[in-house]
Order: sequence, then C-alpha cells, then structure tokens
Amino acid sequence: MGAVREEATVRTQVRKAMKARERTNMAIFLGPTILIVSFFFVVPVIVDIAISFTDLGRELRITEITTKNYERTFTRDRQLPGVIARTAFYVGATLLIFNTTFGLLLALTTTAIPRTSGTFFRAVWLLPRMSPSVVYAILWTWSIHGGDTSLVNQFLINVFGFEEAIDLIQLEPMWVIIFANGFIGASFAMIILTSAIRSIPEHLYHAARCDGAGSLAVTWHITLMHLRWPLTYIFIWQTLSLLTSFEYILLITGGGPFRSTTVFAIFIFQRAFGSAGQYAYGAALAFFLIVPGVILALLLWRISKMGTLLQRPRIEVQ
Amino acid sequence: MTKSSLLSVTVASFALALSIPAVGASAQETIELTLWSRADASGPLRPGNILEGANRLNAQLEMDGADYRVAITVNEQPDQGGYDSDAERLLRAYAIGEGPDIFHAAHEWICAFAEPGYLFDLTDFTNENPQFFGDIFPSLWKSTECVGRRFAVPQDAEARMFFFNKGLMRAAGFSDEEIESLDERVLAGEVTLDGIADIAQQIVENTDAEYGILHRPSRGPDYLMIFNQYGSSFVDPETGKLLLEESKIADAYGWFERNVQNGVTPSNNTSMDWSFIRDQFYRDNNAAMWMYGVWDLGSNAFPRGVPSDKEGFFELFGWTAAPAPVEGGRPGSLTHPIVYGVGAGEHQEIAATIVGYASDAELNTNHAVTTTHIGIKQSQLEDPRYAAEWSLALATELLEFSHYMPNHPDFGALNQIIYEALQGVETGQISAAEAAAYVLDEADARIPDSIVMN
Repeated sequence: MGAVREEATVRTQVRKAMKARERTNMAIFLGPTILIVSFFFVVPVIVDIAISFTDLGRELRITEITTKNYERTFTRDRQLPGVIARTAFYVGATLLIFNTTFGLLLALTTTAIPRTSGTFFRAVWLLPRMSPSVVYAILWTWSIHGGDTSLVNQFLINVFGFEEAIDLIQLEPMWVIIFANGFIGASFAMIILTSAIRSIPEHLYHAARCDGAGSLAVTWHITLMHLRWPLTYIFIWQTLSLLTSFEYILLITGGGPFRSTTVFAIFIFQRAFGSAGQYAYGAALAFFLIVPGVILALLLWRISKMGTLLQRPRIEVQ
Repeated sequence: MTKSSLLSVTVASFALALSIPAVGASAQETIELTLWSRADASGPLRPGNILEGANRLNAQLEMDGADYRVAITVNEQPDQGGYDSDAERLLRAYAIGEGPDIFHAAHEWICAFAEPGYLFDLTDFTNENPQFFGDIFPSLWKSTECVGRRFAVPQDAEARMFFFNKGLMRAAGFSDEEIESLDERVLAGEVTLDGIADIAQQIVENTDAEYGILHRPSRGPDYLMIFNQYGSSFVDPETGKLLLEESKIADAYGWFERNVQNGVTPSNNTSMDWSFIRDQFYRDNNAAMWMYGVWDLGSNAFPRGVPSDKEGFFELFGWTAAPAPVEGGRPGSLTHPIVYGVGAGEHQEIAATIVGYASDAELNTNHAVTTTHIGIKQSQLEDPRYAAEWSLALATELLEFSHYMPNHPDFGALNQIIYEALQGVETGQISAAEAAAYVLDEADARIPDSIVMN
C-alpha cells in the first residue's frame, strides 16, 4: 500500500517537474518571439488607436480626447476613395504580375536549367532586394528620368530610333512603382518556390517521364501541384506587405506626380507628417490600414485553408 | 555651402567654444548656446555672422568685465527639402524641448513657431535696443510679425522676378527695342501675363530652345507671385485667417494650364531637377524664361558662366517684374525674407543680443554682396561694396510693389496643397477649375480651422 502511494507521489512529482520544464521551455523558445511581437506589433497598434482619439498635432500636445479624426475621415477627406482605388490596383497588379507569377516563372526556369546557371540568375534577381533602398531608388531614377541621358531613353533614342526622350514618371507613374516593387517582390517568391521545387521527390518526375509525360505535363501535374502551399503563403504575405509598401514609392515618385502614386501608406505619411504635422489624424487613417490588414489576413487564411498546412501530420515517421 | 565655408563655420565654432574658457582662469561662466543652420551655398554667412556676433559680444563682455562669456555650438544640416522641410523638422525639435537658441527660417513659418510659445517675443527687446535694430527697414519688420508682435529679426530680403534670355528673343525675331523695353512695358501694364507667355511661346516655336517659362520644381514662393497677380492675397483682413477665393485661384491655375497646353512650360516642370533647370536657362540657352529670385545670380548664375558685370549680364539676359493679368494692371513681385528666430528660454536675451550684433550693417553687407541678397538696413545702401553690387540696387526697385507670403502658422501647409494642385494641372491630371476645387477641399480636410472660403 505504502509502495503504491510512494509511486503515486513520485509520479505526481515527475508530472509537476515535466510541467515546469514545459513552461520553462516555452518561455525560452517562445519568450523572445512573444516579446518582439508585443513590442513591435501589438503595442504600436494600441498606441495608434489611442492617438487616433486625441488631437495630437504639430505641437505634440494632447488637449482633448475626441472622435473628430474619424468624422473627418468620413466627411471631409475627399481624396480617400481615389487613394483606396489606387492602392487596390497597385497591390493587385504587383501581386499577380510579379510577386507570384513572375516569381514562379523565375523559380521554374532557374531550376530547369543547369544548377550553376540557375544559381547565377537567381543571384542576379536577388540584387534588387540586397541593395539599400535608397541606392535602388536612385538607380531607378537615373534609369528612367525624362532627360535624354537616362538609361531607358538612351536605348529608345539610340537603339530604337525614338526622336524624343520620354519621361516614364510622367507617362506611367503607377507602372513605374509596380515594376520597381515587383522586381524586389519577385525574388521573395523565387527563393521560396525554388526551395519547394527542390524538395519535390525526384522519383515522381522519373515516374511521370516513364509514363510518357512531356515537360509541360510534368510542370503542371507535379511541380505546380506541390507548390500550392508555398504559393498560398506567398500570396497572403505579399498582399499584406504590399498594402503597407511605402519606401520605394516615396523615394522614386514621392506619391506623385500629383496623386497618381499615392497609395494608402503614402497617404497616411503625407497626412500625418506632411506639411501640417497632424499625427492624430494620421493615426486614425492608419487604423483603417491595420483593421482591414488583419481581416484580410484571416480571410485569406480561411479561404486558402492555410490551417491544414499547419496541422499535425497524420502519420509520424520515426 | 561650399566645403571651405562649411569648414570655416565649423572651425570658427570650435575656436569660439575653445577660446572662451581660456579667456579668464577665474570663475567665469560660459553660456552655451545652440545655433541651427542649413549648409547652404546661398547663405554661408547666415550662421557665420551669428558666430561673428558672438565674438563681438564676448569682446564687449570682456571690456565690461562681465563674469560670463558665450559659446555657440553650430548644428548645421544639409539641405533636405528647402526651408519648408527645415521648419517642419525644427518645429518637431521644439515640440520635444530640443529646439535651438537661434535659427534662421523663411519668414512665413515664424508664426508656426510663435503660436505654441517656442519663440522669444522680440517686440520690446528690438525697440529697446535701437543700436542693433533701429536702422532695419520698417517694411521688413512686417515679415516677422504675428498678431502685431515681432518674433524674429530680418536677416535678408530679395526680389522674385521673371529672368529672360535676350539672345533667344533676338533669335526669335524680336527687335532690340522690343527686348530692351520689355521690363518697362511690364511696369507700365502694357505686357500682361498672357503676353509674356506669348513671347516665350514664340521663342519656343521660332528657335531651338525647348522651354518657354520654367519655374521652381518644389513648394516655395515664386509661383505664388502669379496667384498674387490674379488677386489672391491668401489672407482675410477681417479674421486674420487664410483666405481662399476659388475663382481667383482658378484664374491663376488657368495661366499655368495654358502655358502647358501652348508648349510654354513643360508638363514635367515640377519633377525636374533644380540644377537641370538652371543649366537649361543660364548655361545652355534652352529656356526663354526662368521665374525665380535675384539671389540666384550670385549662387547659381555666375558660377555657370553668366557674366557678373552689369553690361555683360544685360547683354545676354534681362529681368522683369511679374506682369499684371490684364492690360493696365499693376505689376507684382514677391520678396521672401529669411529671418532669425530666438528660442524662448533662460538665455533668450543673450541670444537676441548675439542676433543684434550679427545684424550689424557691415556683417549683413558681407552676406548681401557675396550672395546677391538685398540688405536689411538703410545704412547698407551707403556702403560702397553694396552700391557696387548692381543687381541689388536694381532688384531693390522691385520692392515697391512686392508682396509677402502671409505670416500664418498654417500657410506652409496651404502652400503644399497649392503646389500639389499646380503639379496636377501641369501634368494634365486636373483642370484649372478642378485644381481650385482641390485646394479648397484639401484645405478643408487638412487645416479646417485656419481657413475662410469664398
């Protein structure tokens, strides 16, 4: 009887020790992440919402708690519909053309050619991402400015026989920022998808070839089928990333000419820090970027059934 | 600012800071003051004169046997978007208690500093110290006032005008008589704004020059001359608020719109590079006219090879006030004084005294003649160096009908909106009427408490 009780006590102690160890492990492994997420994601959201209900302005003083910033958003700010439409076009076009389709194309082609050449081309496509943003923006500006000395105009005039230089920032500012951001975004998909393609078991290709499948059929039925999850992840991540994209647009066009490249994040910056220093109003506008961002992320998670990707495996390989 | 002048300012500030403690080994207090300045070729002596002012104050303190000296730390920053951006950054610095003791700013920003109480109210101090400030042109003081009180000291002035290229006018077929009398005909109200645009159009059509009229590619004063000419003063005299009159604003935008449609102003003027524009006008004979200020001569025209002697300059170039919009109307110009502000605080009177010494006629003339800026004092006119600087004497004539930009805390914000709409008009994205509506809408959204609309 005594021995049984002793064993039970030991078991309880072991269980307690295991629980304590679990908690310690959790603190060690998840603690830094939780802290970082709290300080850099949760706290700023709370601060933003708090500021949006004040009159914090150029003088950095709060004299009243108010909802007037939200009233202003809905009743006075007539630029908003245009800004939202531009943001939707910019995010949609960059995402579909570059951040997914072109990234996928790069991954497919650079894995289909010999490994050394593939690595070289991938390295080339990583350059925009590796360059400091200011350097990258200056290179764009030099390449496309309206004078006849820009890279694009030298080609157009000397190679294609154009009579006059063109100014792409004036003619197609939205496409300039889509290309500038897309060149960087494409490399993100390229890296992830290259890795995914490399992890597809080799024997599937051999089996398909034995069954007489051609290159297109192999790509469609084997490679693309295995890229569903990475593509879904890229889609969600890049949508959210593009919604807040900011620095390259600010550096290359400044949101102009006029308002033609003023997407939502730039708009918030201009309103909050532009000429009048209306921080509370900027915070209210930022609130409308945070909430849809979270909703969109959850929605895309749901629609794409991303949760199943993260489920426990049904079989466990020992 | 050139490398050498930047170096000299830095060295001077260090020398000043180092020399003070050595002056008296006894218990002598050193009062540390900060000076904010922009590294700027158009005015290296704006900070330089303050340092010299501090030197002179220290010499006086020594003579008086005072138990303190002053040392200035210069915080000099590169140009990052002109005086508007400078002011916005300085306002943020003051808001967190990190504002400098002395700074220089474009005058229209002073009320934005004065309203929250960041500045020393200089009204009494300047009246009580006529030895420093008594001789300053009375009209210039207006550029430092907010609600009737002085919050700054004028540092310089200048005049905005239309520069024109006489060689291109000749090549376009204008007679010498027409060319040489252009400024007089503008002053007489015979040449209108559309008339001068027509001259520029003829030059573009009949010569190799690509551009007719170019203007600044950023927010600032010059294009506001055109709004002034079409009747917008931007100030409601009854309330002191900013005044927006839609039809007058639309008229002004209409002039810019016609210029782009007629090939006089390029649609990408607002995204051009400053230096590119100046090269086109001063160096390459590729632009008929350039709407800018007289100080541009010393800082940008002469270094590009434009003759700096009067005869040589007027052989190739000329300038005129902004014409009236209708025949018989009054010409206009705009002067844009730079002013010294003094931060409110324990040492505000000492800082203001340094500004007083820095405003000495001789020191200010050093700045005026080296950067082609108009001086601030009557006595400068008697200085032979000033008199010999022909561009200053001639530009001073324009002050007769010069306007100021309004001294209002939110005018900087309004000017940003005006400039945005100008870019919209010139790039063809909105019409002149839509631009006027945009200005009213945006002002209503951004600075609703500061405007009156008609």
